[in-house]
Amino acid sequence: MKGFYIVGGYPDREKFRECLFAVAENGFEFIEIGIPFSEPVADGPVISEAIHKAVANGVNIAEIMNDVREMKEKYPEIKAIVMTYANIINGYGEKAFSEAFGDILDGVIIPDVPTRMHFWMQERGLIIPIVPFVTPISRPLDIEDLKSVKTPFIYYISIMGVTGSDTKSSGADNGVLAGQLTGNPVITGFGIRTPQDAKNALDSTGGFVIGTEAVKRQGEPAELINYIEQFASL
Amino acid sequence: MYDKMFYGRYGGQFAAETLIPALDDLEAKFEILKDDEQFNKELQHLFKAYAGRPTPMYKAENLSEKYGCEIYLKREDLLHTGAHKLNNTLGQALLTKYMGKKRVIAETGAGQHGVATATVAALFGMECTVYMGAVDVARQEPNVKRMELLGAKVVPVTEGQGTLKEATNAAMREWVSCVQDTHYIIGSVVGPYPFPKVVTHFQEVIGDESREQCKELDMTPDSVVACVGGGSNAIGIFNGFLDQHVELYGVEAGGTSDDDCKHARTLGKGKPGILHGAYTYLVQTPEHQISDVHSISAGLDYPGIGPVHSMLHDVCRVKYGYVRDNQALNAFKELSRLEGIIPALESSHALAYVLDNPEIFKGKKVLVNLSGRGDKDMASILERGLI
Ligand SMILES: Cc1ncc(COP(=O)(O)O)c(C=O)c1O
Repeated sequence: MKGFYIVGGYPDREKFRECLFAVAENGFEFIEIGIPFSEPVADGPVISEAIHKAVANGVNIAEIMNDVREMKEKYPEIKAIVMTYANIINGYGEKAFSEAFGDILDGVIIPDVPTRMHFWMQERGLIIPIVPFVTPISRPLDIEDLKSVKTPFIYYISIMGVTGSDTKSSGADNGVLAGQLTGNPVITGFGIRTPQDAKNALDSTGGFVIGTEAVKRQGEPAELINYIEQFASL
Repeated sequence: MYDKMFYGRYGGQFAAETLIPALDDLEAKFEILKDDEQFNKELQHLFKAYAGRPTPMYKAENLSEKYGCEIYLKREDLLHTGAHKLNNTLGQALLTKYMGKKRVIAETGAGQHGVATATVAALFGMECTVYMGAVDVARQEPNVKRMELLGAKVVPVTEGQGTLKEATNAAMREWVSCVQDTHYIIGSVVGPYPFPKVVTHFQEVIGDESREQCKELDMTPDSVVACVGGGSNAIGIFNGFLDQHVELYGVEAGGTSDDDCKHARTLGKGKPGILHGAYTYLVQTPEHQISDVHSISAGLDYPGIGPVHSMLHDVCRVKYGYVRDNQALNAFKELSRLEGIIPALESSHALAYVLDNPEIFKGKKVLVNLSGRGDKDMASILERGLI
């Protein structure tokens, strides 16, 4: 599975929409839409800065999700996943969030909610599937725990670090194992930059997502389109 | 199974998946070591011979006379490095040693926790990096120099408001990349489980000693008062009195007013949410972004609070009030003039609450946790022409 991450509403609504539709038009299987939160602790400098700018301009969840809804109506095949921090969904209300956007979202990625805390969000009414993470240091039992999780895919973080780190990949063993054990698709994220990185990820875990390099180009949608086209044919 | 992670509704383990094995390891080691004879012998020795415990409990006669109540001060300001923070860093450094890790990182606001971490890193021969908001680096410069002298690397954090919240973000990001060989010595009873429990454990010594010292004086205080940033000095002293008929007061930083971004009244003005590992009260905007906060004291300039305090607030066991910057400054001067003790601006909040609320405290026996000394604040107070 191939996908991109972009920051919702950044740098403004128009450019965000262009980027959103560009990813969908180029035939990627999923798109992650970031809802900006003021404390992006899982993000490196590039995405953090975009998020801080978006927060300073005012984050309008309804507007971001309307754009996602339109995109989803035009391209029903693509999986739409929101990536945000726990406080945004908790503040909106887990139940209210599910009711408002459950019909257009295939999953949510919440980097400050580890697998063992999924129940907490679910007890409060989150019914959209929460995408679980596997890391290079996940233990066999952590991966076993994912057997019963309902999710569009498993997110394998291939580096020890935040998004955009240029830390060396720690290999894909745990990502591959997670796919074998659970039967779910696996995507590799955090640190994919070049078509070669993406190809390696496809060969090992079978999927990738590109974040930092996409967000870098969100200010110039034409550049983003040039960039993503290199990945469409992989 | 996860009940242990919560104080009532609050707490939890809202941390990156990458940190979970380290948090589990910390929990497992802590649960064994906290009752381990050798570990406790070493810790007690450090508390006594190195840090200067027990700290005295001192009756401030001049202040008491002027304000018409009996004011007792728990003198954490006399602890080595000048604040209660060292209780926690000594404990966690010892844990780090037993866990076989060779490097520590920390966040700091006022710089007291940074200094306390740099101190134990020097003592134990560990490498140390401290993250500190760029604004705090400027307003607490003497502490930056102390940390550097002690061999620590201080990384200024320019993100956002450049204070404790951003320093914590930076430390958490760094920890994800080095968690296998590095321990994160968190500075208060905040963060994902088991940190609130670990830090509480090492700060409980304040309450244990205070209770003993009260017994020696044959008195039970009517009230115990402490300032609350993350809440570690407060829970440390409260735990000695939670099971007694003693009124407990936590004092938040009221900043300059109740306007947005002008205060740090987490319990007074916040709503529950999730930040830095825990579900707890947070100062946040209607859109659920974390608010900028303000306090004259860098150590209280934080939009969150330890989950245990959220619980104690909800069940009304502790009353959480606030004082404004100018009230804290007044108490800072009063204690200096009347008793010859220069308190930290953080601790001045606790004292100001007593001095400025005679209707609560008149005629009562009040124990105030003097969590730190004010030398670190002199430069910035002078620079701003506040005295
Ligand atoms: C002297 C002093 N008191 C209090 C605090 C606030 O922290 P806590 O609420 O965890 O005790 C600090 C923090 O830097 C401090 O330096």
